[in-house]
Formats: sequence, C-alpha cells, structure tokens
Amino acid sequence: MSELILTRKKSKVIREMGAVWAIFAREVTLFLKSPATIIMSLAMPLVMMGMIGGNLLQNMAGGLDFELGGFMLVGMLVNMLFMTTTTGMASLVDDHETDFNQEMLVSPISRYALVIGKILGSAFGAIISMVGTLIVGLIMGITLPVGELLTIVALSPLMCLSGGALAMIVIGLIKSRKAANFAVTLITMPQMFLSGAIIPIQNSTGVLKILSRCMPMTYCLDLVRAVVGGGQPTMFNPLVNCAAIVGLTLVCLVLGTWFFAQSEKNR
Amino acid sequence: MRVIEVNNLVKQYKGAKEASVKGISFGVEKGEFFAFLGPNGAGKTTTISILTTTLSKTGGEVKIAGYDVGREARKVREKIGIIFQKPSLDPQLSAEENIRFHACLYGMCGYRPSFKLMPKAYRDKVLELAEIVGIADALFKPVKKLSGGMQRKLEIIRSLIHTPEVLFLDEPTQGLDAVSRRSLWEYINTVRKQYGTTVFLTTHYIDEAEDVDKVCIINHGQIAVCQPPDEMKQSLLRQELILDADDRAALTAELAGLNLSYKANGQVVAPFQGQTAQEIIAKLKTPLKTLKIHEPSLEDAYVEFLNQAGGAAL
Repeated sequence: MSELILTRKKSKVIREMGAVWAIFAREVTLFLKSPATIIMSLAMPLVMMGMIGGNLLQNMAGGLDFELGGFMLVGMLVNMLFMTTTTGMASLVDDHETDFNQEMLVSPISRYALVIGKILGSAFGAIISMVGTLIVGLIMGITLPVGELLTIVALSPLMCLSGGALAMIVIGLIKSRKAANFAVTLITMPQMFLSGAIIPIQNSTGVLKILSRCMPMTYCLDLVRAVVGGGQPTMFNPLVNCAAIVGLTLVCLVLGTWFFAQSEKNR
Repeated sequence: MRVIEVNNLVKQYKGAKEASVKGISFGVEKGEFFAFLGPNGAGKTTTISILTTTLSKTGGEVKIAGYDVGREARKVREKIGIIFQKPSLDPQLSAEENIRFHACLYGMCGYRPSFKLMPKAYRDKVLELAEIVGIADALFKPVKKLSGGMQRKLEIIRSLIHTPEVLFLDEPTQGLDAVSRRSLWEYINTVRKQYGTTVFLTTHYIDEAEDVDKVCIINHGQIAVCQPPDEMKQSLLRQELILDADDRAALTAELAGLNLSYKANGQVVAPFQGQTAQEIIAKLKTPLKTLKIHEPSLEDAYVEFLNQAGGAAL
C-alpha cells in the first residue's frame, strides 16, 4: 500500500460550503438517475396548472379586477417551488430508512450545512417543476415577460430555502416514509389555499388570516406578484415581504435543523 | 497516550425503566486494537453510538483523541472513521460516487460531477484502495447491485479515505463469507500497521478478536472484564490434554496418581495448569494412541465468562 494520503482543507468555511455543494450534487445526481422523479416533476405542473388552474380560470375568471391567468401562473410557480422542495425534503426519511443519514451525521460538518444542502438539492427538482409550469402556462396562452421571469428565477433559491426550512420543522422529526407522505400533504395543502396561490387572501380574517401571515409562502407570493405587477393584488411593501421571508426562513431553518439533529441524537 | 477515554458513562433511553449503559469506564491507547464484546442487548452498540457522536449520553465523560464527544463533537468526527452495523451506503449511487460524496463531506476535495474530473490524488487513492480490497471491477456499478461482501468492502474504503485516527468497526463482517472476512481483516491489519490507526471493534465472531491488544466484555450494561486476551484466557481456562490408550484404565490411574482431574468420554480429557504438557507426558508410562493439546480460544474464555457471570442479557 502506498503512502498516498488525501489532506483535509484547512478553512472551515470552505469545508462547509464544499459539504453543502456535495449534498446538493448528490440530490441532483439522484434526481437525474430517477426517470420516475423527472416525469413526476413535469407531470405535477400539468395537474396543478393545467387542471386545477385551468378549471378555476374557466369558472371564476369573470368579474375580477385583475387578470386571473397571470395571477394563477404566479401562484402555481411559487406553489410548485414550495411543493416540490417539501416533497424533496421528505427524502431525508428515505435516508433515515436506508441508514444513509448516519453517514452524513458522523461527518464533520454542521447540521445547517446538511439541511441547506438538502434543501438546495430539492430545489433542483423544484426548478424543473417551475419550468414545467411555465410550459403548461404557455400552452394555455398565459405568459410572463422575460425580465419578470428572470426575476422570479433569481428569487427561486430563496423561496425554495424558505419552503424547505418550513418543511424541516415537521419532516425533521419524522422517521417513517408513510408519516412523511402525510406530512408533505399537511404542509403543502394549507399553504396552497391559505397563502394566496390560487385564491386572493386580502379578505381573510380570524384564524385563517393569522395562519396565512405565519406562512413564508404568503410573503413569497406577495413579493413575486409585486415584481410581476399587471394589477395583481398585493398586501405588503416588497421590503416587508423580503424581511418576512428572511426572518421566517431563519426561524424555520434554526428550529427545523435543531429538531432534526435532536431527534436523531436524543433517543 | 489514551486516544479513547470513557469515564462513568451512563445511557438511559427515553421511556426506558433502566439504563442500557450503567457507568462504564475504560480506555484505549493510541494504535491499540481493542475489542468490545458482549451478548446481544449488553450495550455495545449504544456505547459505540455515543463514542461516534450519533447518540447523546445521559451521564459521564467520553473523550476521543482528546476531544469531548458532547462539547466538541465536530472535532471528534474529524478524527474517526466508522463502519456501522448496518450498511449506510446510498444504494442509488455507484460505489465510487459513495466514496466521492464521503471524501467531499470530510473536506478532502471539492465535489465534481464525474470521477474523471476529480483531483488526481483522489482518483489514485480510490483506485489503490479498490484494488487492495478487491472491488476495482465494481467501482462504477450502483451499490444496489453489489453483494453484501462488496458493500462491506466499499464501506471499508469509504471509512479510510480520510485517514482517521480511530476506526470504529461495529460488527463489520456480519453477513460476509469466510473469504471476504479474511481479505477484509488482512486489509484492516495492513492499515493499522501502516498508519498506526486505533481500531475499536465490536463483533459476535469472537475469533476475530483473538489478536487484539485488549478485550472488554460488557454485560447487562456494565464492564465485566477488561484485559489482554491471553490474560483473560489464563484467568478463566486451563489448557487440556486430550489422550487415549488401549489400556485406558491404566492411563486414567496414572493421571489420578499425578493429581490431574479428567473426564473420560470419547477420549480422556485432562485440564492442567502450573506445569507444561511436556512435563505431564514425560511422567506417563501407558502407551498412548491419541495425544492432543487443546489451547483455549478467546471464544472459550468468553463463553466461560458469560456462564460464570450467570448468562447473557437477552
């Protein structure tokens, strides 16, 4: 055996970023190796935008003071980012079941690097779904100007991070795939209806209003609608949205990561 | 210098009525080959999980390479390599992709999308290890298509790619055939000698612990004995002479005359201590047709110990 020894990089920051990149790359590799996942990522927009969105457009478009097609497209784009990222985060449970989590948990990286890498990896699938949503929108005759589209794409990592961090709070505590599937539904469905993805929420009151204000997706949607313009109803100043997204994301990320680390270690 | 120090370690799982590990203490010297043995449910995996930072302790102090496993877990993780009881590979990735992912997590190199694009030092190291362990042909196959033995060998490569100071092996040969077991141990011994790696082993194959420097037996969550295997064998068992003669009555009479106890079933078995086999045989006049000397194995000592301790935890 030779004396060949690989040496560890000195900088802690570089090692952390390298770990995030490696976890991200693994998620992308797994995504690309799974034709079923790719097909599902492209089929979901067909269901969400094509069927749900199309049905709402045909039956509810009349009498509104804004263009429902654009409203729906923005709603579905952001919803797909959140939904696919959340579904991707559920793969943490798969890693737990195959014991691959142990490999990551005994490595000398922070738990935040692990979670952020996982979220960004899940975001890759989410971006594919977003592209699918745009294609379905195009087929339905609903488009966005290129500049606005690029702005949404630029904001998408932040939105995925936000959605993934929220998902971590629930998924980080779960150890079975069955429960994880249920949790994904539990996280994504209320967000879709309460955050204003397909129905305006300006008139929400009581508990529903409080819940909508607790969801990062509400602020993501409001921010994107403000960016896109076109008379789409908004509730807050974009700066307020940005602050809320960053604040809620940080809170969810810290809590979710802590829950995840504790549930793995404190038995 | 002690590379593993465990003082009064206690672990009680949530909701459990009693502790799984009840205040155990032991130490492992740098470069030592250490075996941590015990029956199922004795507390082996709990202890190794705490030592490798994947499980929190309830009480006590544990230091690995001078770092506290609770307060300095990250530093501890940099110093250790682990082969878990159950394989912890990603079945969807190829063997090499699993190694690449590990090397990048440990900060040995940056992740690049293919093996060819990885740094030369990484590629050379992986190819060298794969050749030694005997999985060079399977390096680029998906893990799910590899046999249990191949997966174990892959885990060995992965655990050593960052050259750890301490290698934890939690039942590393479980499910492996005899040939795979032997080649795996040959490689681990080579690594141990070349890099001075401290090896902490738990196993149910007691013969694998025959050559270790020190054995600790844990039973019912407590350290029952901790000493070199030879001392353990000597303290628990005696060597045995296995004899037989056409005139067995004369033989047994001679043994009795030498104050040696014996059992005469299929053959005459006479345990001895305090004198050599040569000295005993020299005193026997009866012509022998069978003569064997039985050296007790570590497994014999282990089983004897558990019998004396009133049985194993189940």
